[in-house]
Amino acid sequence: MSAAVPLESGVLDEYRARLRPDAVDELVTVDGLRTDQAALGAALDAMGMAGLQEAREEAGSLASDEGVTYGTGQAGARNWAIDPIPVLIGGSEWTALTDGLRQRAVLLDLVLSDLYGDRTLLRRRVIPPEAVLAHDGYIRQTVGVDAPGHRQLVVAATDLSRNADGAWTVISDRTQAPSGPGYAMATRRIISRVMAGLHRATPLARLRGFFQTFTAALQDASPSATEPPRVVLLTPGPGSETAFEQAYLATLLGFPLVEADDLVMEQGKVWLRAGDRLEQVDVILRRVDAAYADPLELRGDSQLGVPGLIEAARNRTVAVVNPVGAGVLENPALLAHLGSAARALIGEDLRLPSPTTWWCGRPNELSHVLANLDSLVIKPISRAMGPVRYGWQLNGAERGELADRLRAEPWVWCGQEPMQLSTAPVVTRAGLEPRRFVLRTFGVAHDDDYHFLPGGLGRVAARVGEYTVSNYTGALAKDVWVLSSDAEQPALSVRDRRLGPPLVVRATGLSPRVADNLYWMGRYAERAEGTARLLKVVDDFAEDNVSRTGTPGAVATDVLLQAVAWVTVTGSIGAGESSVSYLRRAVLDAGRSGTVRHCASQVINAAQHVRDLLSVDTWAVLGRLNQTLEEIPDDDDQLQTLLDDVLESLLALAGIMAQSMVRDESWAFLDAGCRMERAQMTLALLGSALTQQRPRPVEDLVVEAVLRAGESIITHRRRAAAGTGPTVALESAIDLLLLDRLNPRSVIYQAESMASDLTLLGDEASASRALALAQALEATDPEQLLDVPVLAVQLAAIDQEFRRLSDALAPRHFLRQAPRRPQSAGWASPWQVADD
Amino acid sequence: MTELAQAAISRPDHYTPRRYRVRHSTIYSYESEVEACYERGFLRPLETWSQQVVSNEVLVSPEPDVITQHVDHFGNHSFYVEVRTPHTELVVGKVAYVDVAWPRPNLESLNSFTVAEAAARVEQEADALERAEFLLPSALVDLAPEVTQYAEGILWSDRPLGDALVGLYSTIYRDFKYELGATSVRTRLPELLKLRKGVCQDFAHLSVGCLRSVGLPARYVSGYVETSPPPGQPKLEGSDASHAWTSVLVPGGEWIDIDPTNDHFADSRYIVTAWGRDFRDVSPLKGVIYTEAKKSELTVKVDVFRVNPDGTLS
Repeated sequence: MSAAVPLESGVLDEYRARLRPDAVDELVTVDGLRTDQAALGAALDAMGMAGLQEAREEAGSLASDEGVTYGTGQAGARNWAIDPIPVLIGGSEWTALTDGLRQRAVLLDLVLSDLYGDRTLLRRRVIPPEAVLAHDGYIRQTVGVDAPGHRQLVVAATDLSRNADGAWTVISDRTQAPSGPGYAMATRRIISRVMAGLHRATPLARLRGFFQTFTAALQDASPSATEPPRVVLLTPGPGSETAFEQAYLATLLGFPLVEADDLVMEQGKVWLRAGDRLEQVDVILRRVDAAYADPLELRGDSQLGVPGLIEAARNRTVAVVNPVGAGVLENPALLAHLGSAARALIGEDLRLPSPTTWWCGRPNELSHVLANLDSLVIKPISRAMGPVRYGWQLNGAERGELADRLRAEPWVWCGQEPMQLSTAPVVTRAGLEPRRFVLRTFGVAHDDDYHFLPGGLGRVAARVGEYTVSNYTGALAKDVWVLSSDAEQPALSVRDRRLGPPLVVRATGLSPRVADNLYWMGRYAERAEGTARLLKVVDDFAEDNVSRTGTPGAVATDVLLQAVAWVTVTGSIGAGESSVSYLRRAVLDAGRSGTVRHCASQVINAAQHVRDLLSVDTWAVLGRLNQTLEEIPDDDDQLQTLLDDVLESLLALAGIMAQSMVRDESWAFLDAGCRMERAQMTLALLGSALTQQRPRPVEDLVVEAVLRAGESIITHRRRAAAGTGPTVALESAIDLLLLDRLNPRSVIYQAESMASDLTLLGDEASASRALALAQALEATDPEQLLDVPVLAVQLAAIDQEFRRLSDALAPRHFLRQAPRRPQSAGWASPWQVADD
Repeated sequence: MTELAQAAISRPDHYTPRRYRVRHSTIYSYESEVEACYERGFLRPLETWSQQVVSNEVLVSPEPDVITQHVDHFGNHSFYVEVRTPHTELVVGKVAYVDVAWPRPNLESLNSFTVAEAAARVEQEADALERAEFLLPSALVDLAPEVTQYAEGILWSDRPLGDALVGLYSTIYRDFKYELGATSVRTRLPELLKLRKGVCQDFAHLSVGCLRSVGLPARYVSGYVETSPPPGQPKLEGSDASHAWTSVLVPGGEWIDIDPTNDHFADSRYIVTAWGRDFRDVSPLKGVIYTEAKKSELTVKVDVFRVNPDGTLS
């Protein structure tokens, strides 16, 4: 902990002046830089505050570009906030810390086994039984469930900070369904670019190897001999606060992200609904909290779990990681007894200290806590039982009330010595601020050992002086660098050192939920693009023609405005409403379905359900699209620019699909959705604009606009000029937008593409249906269609056939499970004995 | 012997050993098809020192895909049932033959401890885990001040234990009106104490709460009791119901069962299905179904018949 390097820096001098006298800082000491911090200090100095501000902003925009978010639901999700200055931990310090973490994980694993097995620790009161039995994380239904792997506790996360002496100290254990390793990786990706020079120059432990070990650890947990085992990550869904992380982690681990509807219990086993077959699941990485994991045994109203999951785990047909019930280890009352447990179970003293904790279930300890209420942190044994209270922040009445609660139910309370967390520098507009720092480490059980992510997820408080460091309260992330020379790379697993071929992960089919979302993501993306293009053409046309009352241009404008209403189903133009106001509504009204903005939000919504299948680039594009539509222009003249921006994003999305996606099932569903939508929109546009007899000048104008909206005007003009296509625009429109097999905008092209998509999906029945549709179109005589009533009938028939095809996809590919309800016999008609 | 204790045992002899046939079936009918159903229930009576299971048959219709059982945290036989045949009616039933012989509680020996002495003694000698499990409040047994206050009026600390237990069941019997529908599985004890009416489950929860509040570990017992038909009439099939009462841990490691619904100690007419901290731990049957159906109808049929030595029922 000694200071070594003298300090001559404006930025750091100022920072040093702001330090809390009672806390250790991660970067500096009173008279210099801490050990191992020289390179970082020099880099900060070189960057200066201006450079650091820039870095902070760049980190923010990278997080935004990559869609790294935290928070509930769509509305509440905010970008992952990162401070650009990494926290550096020296190699040997890290090794010592991991020794302590390893001991702790081994111990917690043994405690967990005992609490759900023999319960000797409780019977002998090494851990007082009341402290465990009163904890809502102790799940009695899983007593006797023994996970098949070597360890019960597969993922061990720990929140630590340095105490006033500089020693790493455990604040709490996170064992329920710990979040963070994905955020740590996302943070590293961003900081390695923001601080590129320093990152390149610093020998530091990489993170990737940990995720390979994590993959292997989950495979180790499998109860079955099947190789490779099938592992899934069970998520509560896009409404979860850490939805980004869950999807990103699934990608890093190479396992599918699944929701409850994707899983089914059958024959006492858990299966993944993959297309029209079932694939047995061997291991579930659980991000659904215990209470919601099995509605048969626990909360009956949960829609997030699998009924029978605990039974399957009991019979070892599946392994749940961490096991349901592991949350009991998060109990702060255990901190008071873990030392005794360590001596009893492994014959060692704890290497990592934690703040002195008194469990109030014992009379002496209760008295101590009551006597020192004003200087202690008071915690209920479970976070669900209420907030943490800081004794010194309470007024007399609050303190009295708390004391009464402690006396009434002493076993649910702990008192804890307050801990002076270390601080770390945070870049703000007003220079560097020292804010409290907490490190969350992650370990996984593999090959008879625990392996740790080198570093972990660092977090600093949202404000100076704030004691709580939590994402709820707006904490910022810190990248944590573990320094290492090549000689002292942190130990990786045997499997990693062997490296050689990468771990084999079992491919899984797409569940109906995923398929459905991909298909609709494709449909809405295409609908957004088609609508934007149509609105752009009509807006442009209206601007030139609307004021010339009585001219063919004005008449054509009306026809086109009606076509907009018909194609987009956004409702007609209001009486006396200007075309530009109407078109503006059709773009921006978020509350009305069919508007560009609504379609775009549906694309994002669908994308959130299939996050793990989409690339970072996709999120960057979707993020831009969302931003474009949220910045509503005041000026109606800007509608064209806005539509150009929207189209640019949507074209980028289409580009990713065309150029960057493997032609697998995921792509096929997306593409099928695009094709289906384009076919239906084109048919609607043709049906609305071209199926009425109109004077030739009006017709020409309308048809040209339609060709323009269908991206085919240039081909029309070129062919007409070269004599290779019809000169009459209507004829050309029918040819190019309906029957031309080579035009990717034609309806026949959509039918043929659908056929190949469906073939790829193994759906021969629907594929031949699509093919028959294409053949029927090919056999159509274009001459006949010039007769407007015939055209109307034909277009309607084709449209109906496309709709039938879409309907046929649902039962085969998109079928969800029936709604799920709890039922209970309750206490049915009880009986009273007749008098004796 | 105190007067109260004398009165408690001067009743017809229900302690002789006997054999019962218990039938219990639960029938759900749905307005439309149920695609799949998962159930958990206690479909086999417990083996205890008061009863032995001679035979037990479980019937599920439609034919279940899986039916397994394990002994749960409390020692009960917990069954998992999985039905993946689409159905509009689910039947889960059991037929058990059980030999029952409860000993008559020894009031004199119980009265050799006061309530406070008994609590202290149990603390010393009982298994720490078991004691804590049945002493802490639980989901349906909150030890609110109202409960403690009610308990103090019956289980005062220097009252002899036997008298106190008799006092507990008889006071609840006197204070509360038996009324179906006044309460539900969600009724909490303070509310019950205001209502002054309820059913056997409520009275069991209340007496469990009273005992725990004075430091005596107590559990909720789910089971059956033989009932008598109205005088002069034959007993009808399916005319009984499941029952619930309370068991308390006393010095010496013995559990004593009291029935505040019927104002006496449990005797050989009582058949135990399962026990736990409260109703939630031993809910006879609960499940999750996958269906579009919005409505279902529940029918529960229970009967308890004595099996005569010649095999006939009475």
